[in-house]
Amino acid sequence: MSMHLTRKYYPVRELQEGATCAYSGGVLTVNYEELLAVAKPYGKNISKIWFEVCRPGEDARIVHVLDTIQPMVKASAPENWGGKEYPGVLNHPYTCGNGVTHLLEGFALMECCALPWDEYSASSGLLYARDAVIQTTGFYSHYTPFADTLNLIVNFEVAPGKSSEEYDNDIRKSAMAIARHLAALTLGQEPEREEVFDNTPAEGLPKVALVWMCQNQGIYADTLLYGLPIDDIVPTLLEPNEMLDGASVSGNYVWPTFKIPTWVHVNGPTVLDLYSRHGKELNFAGVIFARSHQPSNWHKDRCAQLIAKIAGQIGCEGLIMQWEGGGNACIDGMLTVQNCERRGIRAALFTFEFGGKDGTEGQLLVDDVPEADAVVSGGSWERPVHLEPVKVAYGGQTLRLDKEKGGFFPDATGPLDFETNVHMYMGGNQSGYSKITAHAY
Amino acid sequence: MAKLRAVCYINQFFAGLGGEEKAHEGLSVYEGAKGPSMGMAPMWKGEMEVVLTLSCGDNFFNLEEQYESVKPEILRLVKDAAPDVVIAGPAFNAGRYGVACGKFCDLITSQLGIPSVTSMFPTNPGVEMYLRKTYITPSAETAAGMRTTLPRLAALALKLAKKETIGPADVDGYIPSGVRINEVDAKSAATRVVDMLVAKLQGRPYVTEVPLRKDERVAPAPAIADPSKIRFGLITTGGLVPKGNPDKIKQYAADSYGTYPIDPSTWDSAHYESVHGGYDTTAVNKDPQRLIAYTAALELVKQGVIGSVTPYFMSTSGIGTNVGMGRKLGAEMAEKLKGDGVGAVFLTST
Repeated sequence: MSMHLTRKYYPVRELQEGATCAYSGGVLTVNYEELLAVAKPYGKNISKIWFEVCRPGEDARIVHVLDTIQPMVKASAPENWGGKEYPGVLNHPYTCGNGVTHLLEGFALMECCALPWDEYSASSGLLYARDAVIQTTGFYSHYTPFADTLNLIVNFEVAPGKSSEEYDNDIRKSAMAIARHLAALTLGQEPEREEVFDNTPAEGLPKVALVWMCQNQGIYADTLLYGLPIDDIVPTLLEPNEMLDGASVSGNYVWPTFKIPTWVHVNGPTVLDLYSRHGKELNFAGVIFARSHQPSNWHKDRCAQLIAKIAGQIGCEGLIMQWEGGGNACIDGMLTVQNCERRGIRAALFTFEFGGKDGTEGQLLVDDVPEADAVVSGGSWERPVHLEPVKVAYGGQTLRLDKEKGGFFPDATGPLDFETNVHMYMGGNQSGYSKITAHAY
Repeated sequence: MAKLRAVCYINQFFAGLGGEEKAHEGLSVYEGAKGPSMGMAPMWKGEMEVVLTLSCGDNFFNLEEQYESVKPEILRLVKDAAPDVVIAGPAFNAGRYGVACGKFCDLITSQLGIPSVTSMFPTNPGVEMYLRKTYITPSAETAAGMRTTLPRLAALALKLAKKETIGPADVDGYIPSGVRINEVDAKSAATRVVDMLVAKLQGRPYVTEVPLRKDERVAPAPAIADPSKIRFGLITTGGLVPKGNPDKIKQYAADSYGTYPIDPSTWDSAHYESVHGGYDTTAVNKDPQRLIAYTAALELVKQGVIGSVTPYFMSTSGIGTNVGMGRKLGAEMAEKLKGDGVGAVFLTST
């Protein structure tokens, strides 16, 4: 049974402060005291929250970025389909993807926090959220959608002495509560535009699925599906509308370049593109959701084979492979492509590439298979990055880099040079959002 | 407007002197176009002309001593001719000619700063040698394909002479040098990948944006016949280092490794830690033997199962390191261990 979702869009063209939070005709009025009160029940381990606004066109840098959320709220759903926005996070994990959802368009809510470099995670690479940087001008502004959105930055300071689990949980829930509160201001109002998402099977066109493999390696490196991390997930078939309604939520902050924020999970460029061709060139059959970074060959084969099985079971002729994470995840993606192709399901994929400083060092991919003959390049993450100075920094005024070498704390507005783009938010282009690619010369 | 100027380089055969028997011929100088360059002139529609053609025998130009003797004269002639571009070949699949063309182009571009271009069959050894020194357009395998080879060469030569920006290899028709540059496309990666899949499903042509690499397989080493006679080494890619990471091994994309002695009195969590950036290192930080099972190896020595074990281990951080660097580090480790009489290693990965 296919799903029917109406997305109603309420653009945010300006944000102003006022006595009470309100939305009207493209203007979002916020009262920060009101937002603090909304977040308070979720913030037992948060000592301070404060807000900043970064508008489109500003010459700015945003640092310490954790997740970025698309504020949205479920306005109505058919009986027996109780799933609300981001089900399982602040509400019960009922199935989402049907009914009417309101979205604040052109607007992003960004969690920024300098999470403690404490002993608990001191030398554990995985548990350490590396500083994530968004540059809103120049070449690197192409990495994320957030140079063009109006961004409400929610800065967090965490209470000392608590666990990473508590910080992670409280930051996510506080931010989600604020996002929901703001989106709910639109309830009862007419949208500027709306879109219907309905993938009722389009007969006579080839069935295509998107495989979406997300990182899950522990706190600060997790992805939630209906409110739970996907550690031991068996590849799962989702309707595309579940993705649009927030069934999956990012809790992954460890490698800024290799991450897909929640905002992009629910505005997935591949999901939206496949939808735009549904009934014209293809028949968008679903999203096969799985975990990347499978821990061993045994797990990798198990996962790749099950994905190919599901794709075959629903009658797919084609498949798009998309993964989050580094070289380990690349192996999972390639194995999946191989298993699908061997079963007659045609696959295309996109990936970042390696190649060192100029493309000539080492191999371009950690792994590939002969069956992967349709590969789109999202650019190389290994090229040196030079960031021009900016007028203003949000999220923090000092960067925190190179913990393993004792730490380096440059001014957040100054010129910056990185050996690779590892600190650049979404720099690996793993959602397919960016237009950056690599050309051979 | 004055015409742009080109200088061409050809070998004895295309200069009409003869084949193999004339391959030792020295430098010949011709005013204007000679040989294949005559075919390019009409393609430039009056915008460029060949002002000078130089020729050497292939054997002559490839012999270092003779090449050195003629180099000053070539540089003087080309400098005096003041070309906007130099063009060598096409060399097709002739190996010595290809190398000579690459050498000529490299000389002129590096010494005089004048852009250069040549043309060869992709498997010509000159391609590999000069790919990053000059532009090389792909040619047919033999001179029978002259007609299909010249247009690309002529077009790129004109573009270089006009000092226009040279685009990517597939746009401007030259053999890619391996250099890849990040650029902004007109479409997102998401749209391009769906375009590619739809083309694949409809049986229309598509071109992968990341070239496929050749299938590389590492053959497993043969089994150890008698471990009791073998000295074992200890390697981990799990990022184990003495506390403080004295060699500053990178947490990600490591390009070095360390060799660390094991002193049983300090072989504990107070003295070792992992700097690996891709797994939960909590267990390792509580006990270095999670990565390097030194005590267990000593026990095997005592039982006579293995001959001996090195009193040190080698370590790097195996995450995000590209394959080329991995191969280099592995070879260096193996070399050192072999020098120490090691015949096998316990290699722990994470």
